[in-house]
Amino acid sequence: MMINTVEPTPLTLLCPIKNGAVGEQSYASITREYLQSLENHDRSPMAAVPDTFLCRFFILNDVFYEGSPAQEDHLQSKYLTFCCNFHGDTETYLRGFWQHAEKAIREIWRYCVAFDKVNDADSFVAYIKKCTLKTTYYFNGSTGVPLAEQLKALYLKQELSQFACDTQGHSSQQLRAAFRHFVARTQPDNLAEPTWRPGQNFLS
Amino acid sequence: MSNIAGKAYAMNVITPIGRWRAICNLIIFCLVKTRVMAKRLDGLKTLSLIHYARWVIIRPHQFPRLSEEQPKENLKYAYMLFFSNFNGSWTQYVDSFHMAIPGGLDLLWKKNIRYPKSVPLQPFHSYIVHNQIWTEHYYNPYPLASANDVKAAVALKPALCEFIHTSENLSDEEFARQYKAFLFANQAYLGKMAPAPVVSLANQATQERRRLNELYGRLDQDQPKGQTHDD
Amino acid sequence: MNSHYIDLDDIQGNIVKAYGRFGYPFARYIFFQFHDMDAGRAFIRSLLPLITTSRPWFADTKLPSATTNIAFSYQGLKHLGLPTKSLHSFPEEFSMGMKARGEILGDDNESSPDHWDPVWRNDKRVHMFMSINAQNLAALEARYQKIQDLLNAHTGKVEQLRGHRGEQGDDMAYQEAAAVVIDGKITAKEHFGYTDGISDPYFKGSGSNPINLIGGGKPTRQDPATEEGWAPLETGEFILGYRDETQELPIAPVPRLLSYNGTFMVYRKLHENVGSFNHYIEQMGRDFPGGPEALVAKMSGRWRNGAPTVSFPTQAEADAFIEELEKAREAAKVAATPVEKANALAHLNTLRKRLTGFNFNQDIGGGRCPMGSHIRRTNPRGCLEYGVANAYSTPGALDNRRRLLRRGLPYGKVTDRMSDEGEHGIIFMAIGTSIERQFEFVQQQWINYGNDFKLANQKDPLLGNHDGHGDFMIEGNSPENPPFFCARLPRFVTTRGGEYFFIPSLTAIRMIADNLIDPT
Repeated sequence: MMINTVEPTPLTLLCPIKNGAVGEQSYASITREYLQSLENHDRSPMAAVPDTFLCRFFILNDVFYEGSPAQEDHLQSKYLTFCCNFHGDTETYLRGFWQHAEKAIREIWRYCVAFDKVNDADSFVAYIKKCTLKTTYYFNGSTGVPLAEQLKALYLKQELSQFACDTQGHSSQQLRAAFRHFVARTQPDNLAEPTWRPGQNFLS
Repeated sequence: MSNIAGKAYAMNVITPIGRWRAICNLIIFCLVKTRVMAKRLDGLKTLSLIHYARWVIIRPHQFPRLSEEQPKENLKYAYMLFFSNFNGSWTQYVDSFHMAIPGGLDLLWKKNIRYPKSVPLQPFHSYIVHNQIWTEHYYNPYPLASANDVKAAVALKPALCEFIHTSENLSDEEFARQYKAFLFANQAYLGKMAPAPVVSLANQATQERRRLNELYGRLDQDQPKGQTHDD
Repeated sequence: MNSHYIDLDDIQGNIVKAYGRFGYPFARYIFFQFHDMDAGRAFIRSLLPLITTSRPWFADTKLPSATTNIAFSYQGLKHLGLPTKSLHSFPEEFSMGMKARGEILGDDNESSPDHWDPVWRNDKRVHMFMSINAQNLAALEARYQKIQDLLNAHTGKVEQLRGHRGEQGDDMAYQEAAAVVIDGKITAKEHFGYTDGISDPYFKGSGSNPINLIGGGKPTRQDPATEEGWAPLETGEFILGYRDETQELPIAPVPRLLSYNGTFMVYRKLHENVGSFNHYIEQMGRDFPGGPEALVAKMSGRWRNGAPTVSFPTQAEADAFIEELEKAREAAKVAATPVEKANALAHLNTLRKRLTGFNFNQDIGGGRCPMGSHIRRTNPRGCLEYGVANAYSTPGALDNRRRLLRRGLPYGKVTDRMSDEGEHGIIFMAIGTSIERQFEFVQQQWINYGNDFKLANQKDPLLGNHDGHGDFMIEGNSPENPPFFCARLPRFVTTRGGEYFFIPSLTAIRMIADNLIDPT
């Protein structure tokens, strides 16, 4: 059975966007456009943020009308929504976020209320805390071990599966030699390399 | 803009709940967490399609307000936000979810405004899609891996390291014997990964256009100014 | 359950009957294009008296010597003048057609439309499908001639499409198919040597022999070797207009009479690379415990004689069982007195149950029937609950909506079993009320992928669209008997053509012909 007692940390943010515009484009629309322009996978700014598991951004325009007899409801502001799963404690994560993706952060949150007061990791952490929602129920269907562990594990699964195929039918001697070579090449204890890169979406 | 990143699909749903009902639901979620009602959701683990999922009930006064200039929210309802990362597309797997754990789904969306119950399928599917928000940017650190792949990998690695350690000084024959036993004990975790199947032609088309735009964009950058591709 | 409300006389016969089982080992599949709407309608009107229905056939029923059924592609319905609103009410995948869905189906490389029979090159021309199934060649020719006579009334306006590849060339006027004959006997084999079509979904109101419930229905939590272990599937999984497994009427095209008692069909011509298969089996089988035959069995989940590996783990046991089954079949045929006949049938049925009345609950690890084997992938029988007691509201929660009614026959003959050349394979047809939810899902998620079986990207060893780099793991069942890897799988089956069709009821055929389809 799997040994996994580490739980991931959830973070859910609703960051109000200022009601205003640059020219004729609203702040919310600009923010959306910027988010949609971000590159995917290993070129996403989130790939540089340590220990980021699956995460997403969207703009919450408004709530939805369910139709009569439900009542019509509306938000007074639009909200930049960020939903993230990561390893470790929130403050460490946010500091890592600032350290490795400050440029993207400044662009993404640029038009959010009170973000003009954010200019360093400390103020970023404080700002995020104010936007954080309490998770009511969290379901972990995977693992919370550090990302580097997960990526290395995936790399090893891939390599070992291939090894098992390639060495089928080998003599004991051949197998032993091949396995030693496999261990030297894949370095299972070395989390830094060789391994999969965060966001890597093709096999090398 | 896409709900798909590799093998994962991002589902975002926001649904209204009566303000008092929201408090009852908060209690239900507490009971689920403390295993009193957890049995209804055991099927989620067995389904094994979800990386991570969360439910967030937010009452009207809990929408963050960060300055006096920001208008106060004036909502009639509380809201439940649902975020999930699962494998496959919603269209493909809504059938599996609602057939496997209908009771669990009904518990999670209990008395949300106009929630139609998870069975039959069409009203439930329509309800979720009506309240779905599309993702502007979705990041997956391992697009090539499903939740099953990740779990298998994380189980396999320590077993492999243990085997490397215990087999170091064995004779070749004994090594081969223990290697076979190791493979057998961990066969459920083996299996090579590759890119996700194309679950959506629309998504595939946008991915392909992006790839080509990028490729031609790079070619343009490589071309000295004034030169065209036809030269 | 009394399903008297299902009018089997209004439902086309190929939906509920696998004609092959009833003694129709020959078939011809013909495709037409409508150049003129009125002529098209008149032609299909003239076919109505020939259409075989689903009226049950019992032991004493006088069977027709040939059957005829028809179906339409989206383009066909359009050219028959269906109103736009009705056309738009058909599902997206049907309106796109099978060729356009290639990326979802994995029809790439050797399976890509570039390699399809000429008749499929311009798929917009394929409007109508017709199948003739016959007890013998004379009956086949007679029915075919009758069709030609009807067609001749519309020369130039309704065209029979040429371009099927066969032994005589690549411009045949139809696709021929026939049961494989071995030593003069008609068999249920296909060209890799497997016994095909053993299990078929059993659903309410099908009129099918109740013995087929076992293994054909949806699993309950009881013993699969008994009737209590299975329940009939809801009709709406296979026929439009009836309740389906999600407790509602399936989405259906409008107006109601257009779709009621109708369904969808996937038609695929699948070439079998028998040379690649036999080479691979011989080579890999050398190292596999039990040899090539055992390897063949593990890839499928059944021995070539049809015995399931989960119940008969060794070739000796499988052979002994099938021998006993064959003897029992003979005994039931030759039994003279009613008492003898009743006893012989009872014995035969007890044995038949072992062929289909099983699940994988005692084999969660896959040591007997690999997780990735063909039959486990295409009909999981509740194994996706992974043995976790009552994890789902019903053990078949993940399978019941993915069942495929399979029809079709092999085509061509194998002259050189070590060669891929030659025209031989299977005409595969899958019937169900949602192409996307049933066939496309199984094809994409269960045949060309492995995540639901926790097999990462491994594919079905027989049907997967292999690229030469993938493998198939056969689970071991002890430390001394570790997993065996079938590496670098070649593609054994390639697509040579096909399309998505709608099989209308007889009422709908008449209404289409009489220009009475109006969704207002």
